[in-house]
Amino acid sequence: MVKKIIASGVTRPIMRRSFLKAAAAFGFAGAFPAILIRSANAAGTPTVVNSIRSLSNPYHATWNKGGAAFAKAVGAEYVTLVTEGNSEKGIADIKAILAKTGGNCVINIDPNDSPDARPIVEACKAAGAYVVTQWNKPADLHPWDFNPNYVAHISFSGVPYGKAMAAALIKSMGGKGGIVALGGIESNVPAIERKAGLMQALKENPDVQLLDMQVANWSGKEALEKTNAWLTQFGEKIGGIWAANDDMALGAVEALRADGRAGKVSVTGIDGIQLAVEAVLKGEMAGTVAWDPYWQGGMGLAIAFAAKTGKFDPSKEPKEHREFYGTGVTITSENAQTFYDANIKAEPKLDWNDIWGRASGQIQYN
Amino acid sequence: MTTPIEQITKRQPQPKRIRRWRVATWAPLMVLVLLCIIVTFINPNFLSFGNLVRITQSAMIPLVLGIGATFIVLMGSIDLSVEGVVTLSAVILSMLVLNGANSNNLGVLAVPIVLFIGSAVGFINGLVHVRLKVPSFMTTLGTWFIALGAANALLGGMSTRINDPFIRGLAVVRFMGFPWGVWLALFCLLLALIIQNYTRLGRYIYALGGGEDLAALSGISTFTVRIATFTLAGAFYAVGGILAAAQLGLGNAQIGTGWLFTTITAVVVGGTSLAGGQGGVLQTLVGVLIVGVLSNGMVLMGVPSSVQIGVQGLMIIAAVALSIDRKLNRIVK
Repeated sequence: MVKKIIASGVTRPIMRRSFLKAAAAFGFAGAFPAILIRSANAAGTPTVVNSIRSLSNPYHATWNKGGAAFAKAVGAEYVTLVTEGNSEKGIADIKAILAKTGGNCVINIDPNDSPDARPIVEACKAAGAYVVTQWNKPADLHPWDFNPNYVAHISFSGVPYGKAMAAALIKSMGGKGGIVALGGIESNVPAIERKAGLMQALKENPDVQLLDMQVANWSGKEALEKTNAWLTQFGEKIGGIWAANDDMALGAVEALRADGRAGKVSVTGIDGIQLAVEAVLKGEMAGTVAWDPYWQGGMGLAIAFAAKTGKFDPSKEPKEHREFYGTGVTITSENAQTFYDANIKAEPKLDWNDIWGRASGQIQYN
Repeated sequence: MTTPIEQITKRQPQPKRIRRWRVATWAPLMVLVLLCIIVTFINPNFLSFGNLVRITQSAMIPLVLGIGATFIVLMGSIDLSVEGVVTLSAVILSMLVLNGANSNNLGVLAVPIVLFIGSAVGFINGLVHVRLKVPSFMTTLGTWFIALGAANALLGGMSTRINDPFIRGLAVVRFMGFPWGVWLALFCLLLALIIQNYTRLGRYIYALGGGEDLAALSGISTFTVRIATFTLAGAFYAVGGILAAAQLGLGNAQIGTGWLFTTITAVVVGGTSLAGGQGGVLQTLVGVLIVGVLSNGMVLMGVPSSVQIGVQGLMIIAAVALSIDRKLNRIVK
């Protein structure tokens, strides 16, 4: 059978023309859904749009779920745009959706890179759409310069949470011992901030020694390799492992497990993905911080949607509502079960009207 | 009196050429030994049994992937679909065995299914490459993304925890001090050595890499050999995917990230020529160990993170420069 397929493949080359025909048919079929949506979307409830980097990581996948939940709650059409790490694609997709909806849409975006925020905001203002940005934007681009369309920018400061996790780690070690640290990509702002928080905590705890810090590029696989080497180098001296995100923390836990030491060496992460919360429950991790991407994906839209539908006037809001730090949830063994039951086991229940509930101060740029 | 023809025959420097070729072959092994000596000198812990186990643990996945890639490179082709197949197999495996997301519990049965899927992707690689005459570089680039997309669609971006004791045992349970995964990787090496040295397919692969037109003229069905080799490589990548999932205890769409670089580096550093026809799976074993010892050793020696990746790049150039016979290659493209 297989031989037959191979043989037919070998002896009879596909004709170029039939190949092109098939490709054209495919392309045409692919365009159909887009054509159908176009006509269905007239004036009325604004389309709600999330633009994120990819759907291949738990963080953005949860973000997407939050957006879908909000859209369902207000009965709006929901669109997810994925940049795949490509700024040009991200901006072009936004312009396309603005054209398609005639500006009758609200956009919640995690820009692929800081400079992208400016052209996106300008395009939204020109089309009359309302936009909320998160994480990345240039420091000199402010929502109040684009009233009322640029509603808000949300970010999270890594410093206090990096510090909180280091504190939780040190506490679980009994206040003294040696730790090793796994950092994110060195040029990333969150990696720099979280590391700064770690350093602050170390300064306050002179009995704790930082044995080594290595960059594992946010990757669990690299963290596993670095931790393996550390186990040789420092052996029993390692009392705790601080990781700048959960993927790396989980990689470290697996390296410890292969060594028979999972649960005996404290590990902390940041991000609050499901597997990390489960590891905290099992006692294999000492803590993590949940940014709650579900909230980010849903509430970002809720804020823009409220402004678009006239529930509040962005230009009259104070600056700490226009450019603010969101609030992360610190998860340790004490509250892990409660968090798990409310946010992971069940679909999280958020009050979409409580739009400023997690604003914790205006963003500081230095 | 000798005829001119006999004189020419006598002058052929056959033995000399073989000797030069051998030195180049042993260069990677010498580099490996030298590396071990340097790292041990700076941190004697390197030679401890515990660290030996850890190095084999981190070498098991690149070894299995490298074996698959070696066969492709020996033909003079390239396979970029490594990460795609690893991800797809790890994701499918995590969804079929006892896991934290659904109620499947196929246990060991999941392994042949995953192996079949890996080979199927390889088979498609081969078929497209041969039938549509698309260069292997582009074909496998395409299947890389297709497989990655399929993995994404299956999981929707989430991670699945693997609870199956058999799969987890590959990384955690030990036999004679080494995790079962290491033994599995060694078994794959043995299998690959048999294929390479004692089967017709193995000899045909070398023949294709040495000169495809000659091989075709001598009656070898080059198309069949190519398809079979890509299928074989796909199966090895699937094994790599199983090991990767076992090691991290989860399946997600990012599990394969970074393996392509490690795999190709290991193959090339081991001394398998990218032009095809020269090298083999044992060379790849040496290459994998060089990459593994170097990355383990750099942490042990306290080399800053930012320098480490640069050192890896230098190593690739150095290894290739050492193993190339410059007198045979007049033109370099």
